[in-house]
Amino acid sequence: MFAAKEKERPPKRSFAYIKNKIYRDRLYYLMFLPVAVMTILFYYLPMVGIRFAFYEYTPFKKEFVGLDNFKELFFGVMSKNFWRAFNNTLFLSIVNLILATIISVVLALLLNDLKSRKIRGGIQTILYLPHFMSWVVVSSIFLIILSPQGGFINNILGFFGTEPIYFMANKKWWVPVYLFICRWKDTGWGTIIYLAALTGLNPELYEAAEIDGAGKFKQALYVTLPGLMTTIITVFVLNLGKVLNIFESVFVLGNDQVKEVSDVISVMAYRIGMKGADYGMGTAIGLFKSVVGLVLVLITDEINKKIRGSSLL
Amino acid sequence: MNTKHRVFASLASVALLASLLSACGKSSDSSSSSSSESSSGTSSSSSAASSESDSVKKPESIKLMVDGTFLLKENGQDIIEKGYEDLYGIDLIINQPAHNEYYEKVDLAFTTGDIPDVLILDNRRYTSYAYNGALYDITDLYEKSEIKNNITDQGLIDAIRLDGRLYGIPGSRGNGTITYVRGDWMKKLGLQAPKNYDEFINMLRKFKNENPSGLAPNEVIPITAAGLVNTEYPLDIYLREFYWTATPDFVKRDGKWVDGMTQDDMKQALQRMHDAYAEGLIDPEIITNKTSTCRDKFNAGKVGAFNYWAGTWNLNLYNNTVPNVPDVEVTPIPSIKETYYIERPAVAVCITSACKNPEGVFKYFLSTLADGKEGQQLWTVGVEGKTYQKEADGSLTFMPTIQDPTKPFTKTWFEPTLLITKWAPNMKYDERITNSLSMFQSNMKIYPLPPYSKALSDYGSELNSIKAQYIANIVFGDYSVEDGIAAYQKEAASYVESILSELNG
Repeated sequence: MFAAKEKERPPKRSFAYIKNKIYRDRLYYLMFLPVAVMTILFYYLPMVGIRFAFYEYTPFKKEFVGLDNFKELFFGVMSKNFWRAFNNTLFLSIVNLILATIISVVLALLLNDLKSRKIRGGIQTILYLPHFMSWVVVSSIFLIILSPQGGFINNILGFFGTEPIYFMANKKWWVPVYLFICRWKDTGWGTIIYLAALTGLNPELYEAAEIDGAGKFKQALYVTLPGLMTTIITVFVLNLGKVLNIFESVFVLGNDQVKEVSDVISVMAYRIGMKGADYGMGTAIGLFKSVVGLVLVLITDEINKKIRGSSLL
Repeated sequence: MNTKHRVFASLASVALLASLLSACGKSSDSSSSSSSESSSGTSSSSSAASSESDSVKKPESIKLMVDGTFLLKENGQDIIEKGYEDLYGIDLIINQPAHNEYYEKVDLAFTTGDIPDVLILDNRRYTSYAYNGALYDITDLYEKSEIKNNITDQGLIDAIRLDGRLYGIPGSRGNGTITYVRGDWMKKLGLQAPKNYDEFINMLRKFKNENPSGLAPNEVIPITAAGLVNTEYPLDIYLREFYWTATPDFVKRDGKWVDGMTQDDMKQALQRMHDAYAEGLIDPEIITNKTSTCRDKFNAGKVGAFNYWAGTWNLNLYNNTVPNVPDVEVTPIPSIKETYYIERPAVAVCITSACKNPEGVFKYFLSTLADGKEGQQLWTVGVEGKTYQKEADGSLTFMPTIQDPTKPFTKTWFEPTLLITKWAPNMKYDERITNSLSMFQSNMKIYPLPPYSKALSDYGSELNSIKAQYIANIVFGDYSVEDGIAAYQKEAASYVESILSELNG
């Protein structure tokens, strides 16, 4: 009789159990509701637009065309331009990402070793500032600095008797200059996560390394870098997902003369989708870009799993 | 969950939900207020046109989509809106996207179905929208209307007919660009306005090598432009002294459409540009220039020649340069004998096919653009006491702008100096404006509308991008003219073939 009175707990994973759990934590769920609504509204609902990739979607026509947009891109009239833009995107993005990772880690290590907090704070502020400038402003600054007519760099070159170089309109120079400008703008910002991760490293490891006779370089190599590796890989994988999204920087720094090396997928999608009002084709290019980004992330995660034995996704 | 957690969670969730709902509420509020404005606007009385009684039903409101050529919201757009309502008793609902995004927003409006009653369209879109049935055919309405008699040059109207049909009317001429040179430099060098290409090149050389302002050759920019090719139709509007009769656009030759890029005159134009660039006569930074950078360079007193809009810009260039170069003279020159200046077909004001009362909109809106009366006055000089004032001698002068009271208005929509009707406001203009306009008009050729084909619409922007790339590559010396054109033909073959097969098909 006593046992019959005892409230029976529903088995785990049953509907009743989940319902009870949700009811018990109802206020937390209520608190999460706005986030869920926002996520659905602004992240998932717009994905319905992916269907336009399979339409001829212009101001005058909305007609389902299946895979025709993709066939046109991969094998049609536009294919040559498309594959060139694709190759440029991959090259510029991946080189930029690798440089970003290496330079940010090295800079973070150097900053971390600064003893004076005031100096470190000052340098960090100076390094972060370019990140907050718009690409249009950055482009104007570098066009002036690199101008072949009285630009700062060409004035210095002129001092050594070198002919002025039109850096922004020279195919050989444009890529290195572009990568340099990207690093100038975002390297400081990129160090933030690594600096945060460095503060979490156990100081006893450094003391032990010092007792074992390791100098600063060896400490960085055998203590700091292994300690940072998870963060480095996480940041790398996260950035890899966005790697094909370069748009603004190329849009403002590119020009007709260097299009062969500067035309990228996002700019092409903008030209066709927005300027040419071929929204179907623009969406198809965007969708292809997203799929490639996803594949890159999955491959990197798989490699990471093989090397480190754990997945980040 | 303990009590503290519950209380905190309740408060936080209520606050977050409230902020979310208030954001949604704001947008619905604004939309409802705009619709109520519209309905209240329709009830106001009319004056000018209400006395006319005929079968055409007067619209209660008109949705107008315009670019930044119309008076901006922050500079008193409401004055014009109210002025229109006072005249005709119609609520004018203006949608004015940012000037540089206008055509993207027009395309989006048609794609999403949020289509205005009236909008302005440039040459390329006018053709494309008309052929796709997005515009109302106003031919019959125009032929029967009074405004036909008001328009002085029917050639301007004929220039925007498509297969004889009319889909819009211009509020002003299309205008074009003229070459301005430093008149003070010419005087000091003892030069006359160049009559042919050789004299023009000689003038640029003298600007560079014997600069009268004492600038070193590497400091002078003999001629500047915002790119070697224009980004919109007509592609060859700038650098006229180099293009001559050539154009990179598709062009009709001997009754057949051809790719202008591969024609002999284009090859010669590319050679001229290449030679002048190599000699340092063309701005070394031409490829990264924007029109604003060209103007800045001109204003700084470094530029000898600059091809830019005829009319008001002559005065603007002078006013902006004189603080840096007090003795500057900004002199327009006639076109050299090998070429002509280009007047674009005028930007057309069109009624869309989605408009429910096109006859009413034609009568109460489009007709006012060339009525020679209060309508045209509103669209050019605005409202008395707000945007312009009457002087004792009866002439009109613009009042200071709202945004910058140190500068007067120059127009409300259409430039008073570019009107296409017998009527023009009684205003006095600086002679720089009138001189450059009359010189332009006696040295120009009105270009036809661009052709239309589905392939051109699909591939036009990509093909133009390829053309611009090869023009730059050739001029900068990456290719010889022959090799560059051959490489272009190889890369652009599939685009050009599909476009030409449709145009000539």
